[in-house]
Amino acid sequence: MRITQRAIATTALAGLNKNLAAVNKIQQQMTSGTMISRPSDSPTGTNTSMYTRKDLAGVAQQSRNITDGVAVLNSADSAIRNILDQVQQARSLTVQALNSGAVNDQASQAIATQVAGLRESVLAQANEVVQGRPLFGGVSTGTAAYSSTGAYVGVGGANGIAVQPVTRRVSDVEAIRVDVTGPEAFGDPASGKDLFAVLGSISTDISDPAALSGHLADLDAVLAQMLTAVADLGTRAARMDTAQSVNANRELTLTAQLSQTEDIDLPKTIMELNMQQTGYQAALKATAQVIQPTLMDFLR
Amino acid sequence: MSSTFSGLNTARTALWAQQRGLDVSGQNIANVNTAGYSRQRAELQSVGGNVVPAQYALSSGLGQGVSADTVTRIRDAFLEGRAQTEHAATASLTVADTTMSQIEDAFREPGATGLQQQLDDMWSGWSDVANHPTEPGGRSEVLQRSATLAAGLNTTSATLDQQWEHDLDSMGTLVADVNASITAIANYNQAISRAASAGTPSNELADKRDALVLSLADQVGATSSQNDDGTVQVRIGGATVVNGSSTLALALAGGNDPADATTDPPRLVTAPGGTPVRAGGTADGLLTAMATTIPAYKTKLDGIASQLAGQLNTLHQQGYDLDGAPGKPVFDGGAGSTSTDAAGTISVDLSKVTAATIRLALTDVRQLAAAKLSPVATGGTVSGDHQMADAIQQLRLGTTGADAGYREMIVGLGVEAASATGRLTAQSVISGQVDSSRESVSGVSLDEEMTDMLAFQHGYQAAGRLVTAIDEMLDQLINHTGRVGL
Repeated sequence: MRITQRAIATTALAGLNKNLAAVNKIQQQMTSGTMISRPSDSPTGTNTSMYTRKDLAGVAQQSRNITDGVAVLNSADSAIRNILDQVQQARSLTVQALNSGAVNDQASQAIATQVAGLRESVLAQANEVVQGRPLFGGVSTGTAAYSSTGAYVGVGGANGIAVQPVTRRVSDVEAIRVDVTGPEAFGDPASGKDLFAVLGSISTDISDPAALSGHLADLDAVLAQMLTAVADLGTRAARMDTAQSVNANRELTLTAQLSQTEDIDLPKTIMELNMQQTGYQAALKATAQVIQPTLMDFLR
Repeated sequence: MSSTFSGLNTARTALWAQQRGLDVSGQNIANVNTAGYSRQRAELQSVGGNVVPAQYALSSGLGQGVSADTVTRIRDAFLEGRAQTEHAATASLTVADTTMSQIEDAFREPGATGLQQQLDDMWSGWSDVANHPTEPGGRSEVLQRSATLAAGLNTTSATLDQQWEHDLDSMGTLVADVNASITAIANYNQAISRAASAGTPSNELADKRDALVLSLADQVGATSSQNDDGTVQVRIGGATVVNGSSTLALALAGGNDPADATTDPPRLVTAPGGTPVRAGGTADGLLTAMATTIPAYKTKLDGIASQLAGQLNTLHQQGYDLDGAPGKPVFDGGAGSTSTDAAGTISVDLSKVTAATIRLALTDVRQLAAAKLSPVATGGTVSGDHQMADAIQQLRLGTTGADAGYREMIVGLGVEAASATGRLTAQSVISGQVDSSRESVSGVSLDEEMTDMLAFQHGYQAAGRLVTAIDEMLDQLINHTGRVGL
């Protein structure tokens, strides 16, 4: 093959361009810190990257959901516990009133007033509003779970409407219920023997020992139900805790995976950059030496 | 028997021929860096005696010197033909590669600014609504993010349209340029044919013409063949556009709206005639991008937009809003894409929902249907449940949903773009090899010219010495002969 000066120049230029393009690519990776700046850099890497980013967005959202759910669970738990304390108090008052002979009319009237007062207080706490919604009102859009007369006005669990659980999504496949409706915690209003009805009956029938002992049994049933509700809330809080640590773990794994897919391996890239630069400099030097001499340099 | 002075004549032809050779070397050296220049060579031929010996021929059997009448261009027609083909293929693949990389730019993936992020943001908003179904803050967040997503789809679609229009512009300029080249080639052909009949050299004209033909090969994949009189015939995809001095112009036909790209794509036709021309080179790349590549990605994006609207609307319309009314469609395709039936249910014609037309149809935060229970089921009050919002945010996990479709499209785009780059790299190597083979035949080598110069210079000196020798010989004969005893 006949080699001409121009052919050498063209080949040298093409080689130098190729070298420079490689240096440019690595430099781009170094400065951006990422291996994949467009899908064609690595189609499979792009797929992993997009999938992982999507999962990360989901995990971040679920982490928010969990924090929010824990707050609601805690509110419900402490509300029921407070109410429990007061109901215990009402129960001992009732037992006191049942001790016939030990109390006179005036005293039993005082007990009735006290129980009625406890009922009001309990009713107010059962209407606690968290994040703009009544805590025990189910899926109601109203502002209270119980009316001032003690009738259940929430939605779900009574009046022929099934309980509509309020849940928080803690993972792609799991949602944990965070609420407890009034009927579940304080008894079914339809039976006429929920907490507020029973407390009302106690204060009304305070001087009727026969009726009162029946009401005491009803109150014990309601108490048992409230304790069950508290236990239930505790179980769910434990589930939330587990979900929270699973979520945190998953976030770590996904972040690591994203970094592995997208980020450059710094030592490797620096090595490559140095090697490319050495290659480029060698090519420049060789070109400078080859292009210079012609026969003219050796003729008189 | 040769004449007395025939030796001088021989020496004279030698002097002239060596000088001519030196001149040609000078021209070659002058054009060592001229693009498209083919090196030339003075064809030295010994001048012999009579070709047909005859009975009374007076030939002495010796030649009568050297002639250097013709100066030829040195080039390989086969390599030139290959160069045209390979240049056309390289140009076409270059455009294909550029197109893919522009489409990649339009999608801005992977990263935090692409559609994927906007989709994620919207689903996240729905999840917040599921946490607090009655809270207006979360609801207005969903509306904002849905509007952003719709705008993102609109923008991406518009970017693809702009790219299409830009390609159409380039194509228009290219056709004008091609037509100018066609005319110029015909003019050179005419000049060359005249020079040939007058017997004058036309090497430089031929070089310029061949450079134009090669640029036509780049632009539209032209091929050429040589006629007997030194002119060329140029063909583009079967249509002869230059033959001698006659020309046939090209024109751009087809619609100039990206929406018609699949039904009436832009194409090259002859003018006059309107016969379709199958172009190669840059034109092929641009036409393929406009007829196939860009519309394909627009169609995929439209599919994703309509899929998103379909799935989201279906679920949303099963839910109930904050006023207890059934949900309305979240996305529609602009005016005329919806119809309302007797019961007041709005249905969206999904075929009219494209990436370009998709928009948020809800106007009020209360219209978000986060609840699954109807007011009837909740005994007359509006339900504050979150089940529909939760079901909607779960759409992001669907294997047939917009997210999966979008991801699949981006990965497909990456594969296609990477293979376009790979093909271009391979083709560039082939094209480079052909170019260097051409250069090896036609290029000027300074070393070679230097040695030629030396040879011609010494030839000239020797011929001069011959004249001196003959002069001295004749001097002997004329001045020193027959003078015995003088």
